[in-house]
Amino acid sequence: MATRSGNATALTVLSPIKHGTVGGTSYADIIRERCLRLPIHERSPLSKVPNTYLARLFILDDVFYESLPGNDSVFNFSDIFSFFSDQARRNALPKKDHLKSKYLVFSSNFYGDLDEYLAGMWDNWAYMDGGVQRDVRYIWEYCVAFDEVTDRDGFISYMKRCQLDASLFFNGSTDDSLQEQLKSLYLKQELTKFAVTYQGRSATEIQQAFRLFIERVQPENLSGPSWTPGQSAP
Amino acid sequence: MTQNLDLTDIQGNIIKAYGAYDFNKARYLFMRIDDADKGRKFVGSITTKVTSAVRWVNDAAKGVVKPLATTNIAFTYAGLKALELPRASLRGFPEEFSMGMRKRKDILGDDGPSDPENWDKIWQEKVHIWISINGQNIDAVIERYDWVLEQIQKSDGGVKLLTGHRGENGEEDLPYQDASILYDAAGNPTAKEHFGYTDGIGDPVFEGQTNIPGRVIGRGKLTEEGKWKPLATGEFILGHVDEAMEYPQTAPSPDLLSRNGTYMVYRKLHQNVGSFNRFLDEQSKIYPGSKEMLAAKFSGRWRDNGAPVVNAPDDESKKAWDAKFAEADFSGKKRMLTDFTFNQDIEGAKCPLSAHIRRINPRGSLEYGVKDAYDTPGALVNRRRILRRGLPYGAVKDPARDDGNHGIIFMALNADIKRQFEFVQQQWINYANDFREGNDKEVLLGNHDAERPGKVVLQVEPGSGKPPHFVSNIPRLVETRGGDYFFVPSITALKMIAGGIIDPT
Repeated sequence: MATRSGNATALTVLSPIKHGTVGGTSYADIIRERCLRLPIHERSPLSKVPNTYLARLFILDDVFYESLPGNDSVFNFSDIFSFFSDQARRNALPKKDHLKSKYLVFSSNFYGDLDEYLAGMWDNWAYMDGGVQRDVRYIWEYCVAFDEVTDRDGFISYMKRCQLDASLFFNGSTDDSLQEQLKSLYLKQELTKFAVTYQGRSATEIQQAFRLFIERVQPENLSGPSWTPGQSAP
Repeated sequence: MTQNLDLTDIQGNIIKAYGAYDFNKARYLFMRIDDADKGRKFVGSITTKVTSAVRWVNDAAKGVVKPLATTNIAFTYAGLKALELPRASLRGFPEEFSMGMRKRKDILGDDGPSDPENWDKIWQEKVHIWISINGQNIDAVIERYDWVLEQIQKSDGGVKLLTGHRGENGEEDLPYQDASILYDAAGNPTAKEHFGYTDGIGDPVFEGQTNIPGRVIGRGKLTEEGKWKPLATGEFILGHVDEAMEYPQTAPSPDLLSRNGTYMVYRKLHQNVGSFNRFLDEQSKIYPGSKEMLAAKFSGRWRDNGAPVVNAPDDESKKAWDAKFAEADFSGKKRMLTDFTFNQDIEGAKCPLSAHIRRINPRGSLEYGVKDAYDTPGALVNRRRILRRGLPYGAVKDPARDDGNHGIIFMALNADIKRQFEFVQQQWINYANDFREGNDKEVLLGNHDAERPGKVVLQVEPGSGKPPHFVSNIPRLVETRGGDYFFVPSITALKMIAGGIIDPT
């Protein structure tokens, strides 16, 4: 199992969506529309959930059917049999399968502990949709058994019940907390600006300026000044 | 068997950079087809004078002698549609070609002053046909131009010559785009462009071209043994096997329509000479080297003679290089200009990672010194090469000003515009992840932003104790003033288009 890689966690949650409609629109389509209306960048609710590296939501309508490739080895028997009978070829194909319901898929790569992260989702997920303030329940509203979720602990156990183990997790990020990463990006950018501004100056001048620079950027202070989560432009 | 090209079937501009054959002047014309039937007849008459890639001989009894003027022709997707190519053939053209250059602006980085809405007026028209005339002198160009006008006249309204090129004296409505090599103060022809760089040194060499052993060094593909081999023909000409040992996927059917043809990118690139001169002056004040050395770091070659900066990284070594160059014979000189890699300069301490020639042709250095990182050192490069054609246009009247009409008519030939030209433009010129330089843009061609001007880093030898040098406040030095994507058919295909007998079934 590779749900964790260092301090990073790969979370995949598949929540079944209830069958049924509201005013002629299926629950799945209502959730899809709500997902499509989510604001992005700084205003995304995910930017408010602490330690989110990268996350996404989508609706899984059904599983894909994978037919046999035409030729996956030097020759394959079903191809040769099919010369005599198409039934032989069809019998060799994998069975077709379907999902019993549609699923809301939430996948996230984040830093730290799963319970803490889910608590952070419950506490901080907030955004405006059509002038109305919404929290995390608005997205999951029509998922099976989500109406039983009434508090933070309920949400955590619900999400964990829907969780899938990651079998292969490639963490495309460093192993630091989001705050540390954002601070590092900020420092890198500010240091580049500093180097450009003061190159060629005398050692004393650079030293003095550097002292002021350090005072301004506060390398040890993770809470600021820094980039904010979801920030889209420098 | 080695590859033999059908030189009599391939258009001459694909194989020859005419400028290297003493064709110092050029004129580019653009046309719209208003009547398919008359348009096809027009194509047929132009085809009689289309210059092939055949090798010129001195004796007319033994073959084709070098003409005073050449003529070549190519079509946009809209042009081929206007000529009523069958729908099944049109469907076979790649998406970027059918979209055309304007609609690819986000990929090409044509924003701000380079945005299509700021292009020469002609690019607001429906451009269908491109015709180029290259001449050994301007009279030969004009004579051929007059002949083309006659053919347009004879088309009886079927073909319209489009106007709208910006000109030297504030004109906005010229019917042609002139181009010319630049001359020095004494009136001698040079290989310079308006920023003062020597241009057009290292064009790719591919299978089927002549005199390969003499030209392939530094211009073909690098092998594991550190030798140079010609690139596969199919990287540049359709209907031939490419570097993936496949026929290019961009070829429409039937085979006779695409074979021996290729795609051409035409771009009018305005050069902000005033900005360049000011920028170079300003930056050289804080640069620990001469102004010429800094200019060399921008392009990867010294301005005066094209010396590769990787072999002459500073003022001192340049003197030694020049002395050796002066003593070398003709082929020795050529070799000194092209025989180099960046493998002894992985950090970019000699030739910066953001220098023009390193960005457009990294020469195997994307292995970053890890031997056998890929199947071949050029694995990430060999499918991104382009043949560069074209000439400078206009004159710099005041080297302190940007306005006016002067730059380069840039033409690139490749079998796959998206994989080759567009990739280089998007990933290597306007972005630097492959070069481990973040989002630093290439100095000269990058679409630097006026609000957030670019910067690049000139690295130093690791362990030298010297600080790297930052070049900052890079303004937009080159602006796009127009262009489009063209299909350059073989002469056989031209005859079939003219005859209306393209049949993909």
